[in-house]
Parts: sequence; structure tokens; C-alpha cells
Amino acid sequence: MSPVIKRGGDKFTLPSKYLLFILTILCVGLIVVTFNTDVFNSSVNSFAGTVVVPFQKGITSVGVWMKGTADNLASIRALQKENENLRKQVEQLTIENTNLEQDKYELTNLRELYELDAQYSDYKKIGARIIAKDAGNWYHSFVINKGTDEGVQVDMNVIAGGGLVGRVTDVGPDWAKVQTIIADNSSVSGTVLSASENLIATGNLELYNEGQITFSKLVDEADKVSVGDKVVTSNISDKYLPGILIGYVSTIEEDSNNLTKSGKITPVVQFEYMNEVLVIMELKSTGDK
Amino acid sequence: MRRFVFTLLSILISFILQTTVFRVIDFSGIVPNLMIILTASYAFMRGDKSGMVIGMFCGILIDIFFGSYLGFYALIYMYIGFIVGKFNKIFFPENILLPLALIVSSDFLFGFTCYVLLFMFRNKFDIGYYMLNVIIPEAVYTALVAIFIYPVLIKINMYLEDIEQRSAKKFV
Repeated sequence: MSPVIKRGGDKFTLPSKYLLFILTILCVGLIVVTFNTDVFNSSVNSFAGTVVVPFQKGITSVGVWMKGTADNLASIRALQKENENLRKQVEQLTIENTNLEQDKYELTNLRELYELDAQYSDYKKIGARIIAKDAGNWYHSFVINKGTDEGVQVDMNVIAGGGLVGRVTDVGPDWAKVQTIIADNSSVSGTVLSASENLIATGNLELYNEGQITFSKLVDEADKVSVGDKVVTSNISDKYLPGILIGYVSTIEEDSNNLTKSGKITPVVQFEYMNEVLVIMELKSTGDK
Repeated sequence: MRRFVFTLLSILISFILQTTVFRVIDFSGIVPNLMIILTASYAFMRGDKSGMVIGMFCGILIDIFFGSYLGFYALIYMYIGFIVGKFNKIFFPENILLPLALIVSSDFLFGFTCYVLLFMFRNKFDIGYYMLNVIIPEAVYTALVAIFIYPVLIKINMYLEDIEQRSAKKFV
């Protein structure tokens, strides 16, 4: 850094400062505008749909295929061993099955009680493939290959493997962004089935590696909620349809205010190994419209 | 023009790679930050103005797909591009340690900014956890990937400069 270079550079550094200033204002302007309105959504999203999404779709399908083949080869040996173990398990399970058969009567009665029969099998759903996951390591959203062309709308619920995955937060012509319930910035209003008490389930990055999410604001004066209880989405949620399974209570602690309880929930969906999801084509009606 | 097309292509390719291929080969859920590698290396090679614009474009791309508001990541990436671009004065194509150090520190800066803006402001103060589980692993993984990507970017840059010089000579 001789003074000569510096002097030469000075001629050009002044404009770059202005450029930085202008671009900063532009960015801040964009943040403010998108925070309050959604004017850019349609145009920007369709740009992304034509430029980036086709490639993501292609690469993901190739990647899934390649991973599948590699996994197949690796797992043959493991499968043989597993087969042996499974046979032993079958014998054991047959015995257990007879016991469970008896429990089934009880279950049918309970189902009627909770009216879970009509669960989410009634809703119209479409399948979608995950084509891209969040570029950063902070939040856990992903992109699916269905969009407005297929009728997907913002706030539609997404499920996989019988459990809640999240909801659509952004949508383009042939893609949609899904915010997962394990993301640190998401909250779901849920109900503990056994006690019919409401709680708030919140994703937490600190528990992400354990595969759990936290819950809080559970009012349970009668101590009816116990570990292992089912948690489903509640009736009072304004984004999520009622009765979708979130997971099972894994720990409960009393809050310091002695009124509410908090703890952890193990979600039923395995988010790490998710490739396909179902989008429920129905929006929760909040009574606004 | 050629330079513009090459840069745009490299950004698009690495964005697509980062969201698809690297998501499959992640280590315990952590992916390397290719966009930081691109922003930092281009800024280091071409100066603060290019760094700014490229950073902003990278950020906008992430904003469109994964951000809550347009412009948030663009702002962070843009400033990183601007700061790294200031080091352009000591740029030599042969040197690889300095750019690697720059890439790692910019990824660290990026992680830290994200933590402060996205997490600390929501009363999540356990910075040790986020350091150990997100920021540092990401920086290490990014450095590993950068060892392979940076030389390629340097080659492309030299090739482009070569062509530009040749065509400049023709006209003069």
C-alpha cells in the first residue's frame, strides 16, 4: 500500500461510496415495501419460476435418484441382518397384536369421543416434491414444485407422513415456499387431545438436532397432560386447519408463574428425510370473508 | 458483456447447487455458504463496486426464495461485498491463503449478523450454542468448499481479463 496506489484509487472510491449509499437505500426501501405490502410478489416470483426453479427441479430429481441408488447398494448387507432380526420381532409382535386387538375396541370408542374420524382424510390434497431447501442454516424452509398453476395458495397447510409439516408462505406460478413448524420463526397453536387444553408449539434451533420443538402457555391445572400425549392443531388457530397431528409430548415442566406449563414435543414428521409432501387444498376459514 | 454473463451464470449455478446438491450432502444439517464464497472472491478480485453489486444480487436471490422480506439478505451480502472489495488493493492471483481467510471471516461476519438480527432480537441469547452449532461449522465447511471453488473462479477471471486485454489491444 504505497501512497501511489492509494492516490490512484481515490479517483474511483468516491463513486463506490455513493453506490453503496444508493444501494443501501434501495435495499431498505425494498424491506419496508415488502414488509407492508406485497406488490413485488407476483412479478419477482414468476421471474424466479422461469429462471431458477426448472434447474432445481431437474437437479433434485437426479440427486434423489443418485442417492437412492447409492443407498440401495449400501443397504443390501444391512437388510439381510435386519431381516433376521425382523423375523424374531414378528413372533413377538403377533403376541402383542392380540393384546392390541382388545385395545382397538377402546380406541374406537375414544375416536368417537374426539370425533377424529373425520380427521384430514376429507380434505382435498395434492402431492408435491421438495426441490430446494433453505440456503442458510438458520431457518428451515423449503421449496416445492407446485404453485398457483395447481391452485396452491399462501397459508395452505402442508402435511407428510400423517403429521403437520408447515404452511405455504410464498407462492409462484410453479413453486411454493413452505415454512416448517420446526423453524425457529414459526409458532403453531395446538391442542393436547387427552386434556383438550391449548398450547403454543414453537420451533427452536437449539432443539433442532434433537428433532424436537418446544411448547409453552399450556394451562393444565388438573395435571391431566402427561408425557406421550398427542398434540394436534387447535380449533382457534387462524392459519392451520384443526385436528392435524403435530406430535407427542416428550417433556413437561411447570413454569415459574405456576399457572402455565411448557416443555417439548416430538414431531411425527421426520424432517431430515422428507422428499415428498402433501398440500391440503383448503384454507382455514377465519370468518373474515 | 461476457463478464456479466459469466458472473450471472456462476451466481445462478452456485445458488442452485447450494439449495439442491449441497442440501443432500450436508453435515448434520449444515450447508456451506456458496453465495458468500462467490461474493467474497469476486469482491476480492474486482473491487468494492463489483463486490457490492454481486453481493446484492446473491442476497436478492436468497430473499426471493427464502427471505421474509426482499432486501434483508441483499443488504448483508452487499456490505460484505463492499468490505471485502476494499482488500482488492492487495490482490494477487497466486495468493490463496488471504482470500480463504477473507472468505471465512466474511462467512463468520455473515453468521454473526444473522444471529444478531434474527435471533438475539427475539431474546435468544445463548450465543455459545449458535456459535458451536451453526456459525463455526458453516464457516469451516465453507472454507473447505472454497479451497476448490476459489481457484476455479480465479481461472475464469484471468481468462476473462485475457480476452478483454486482447480485444482492447485490437482497438488501440
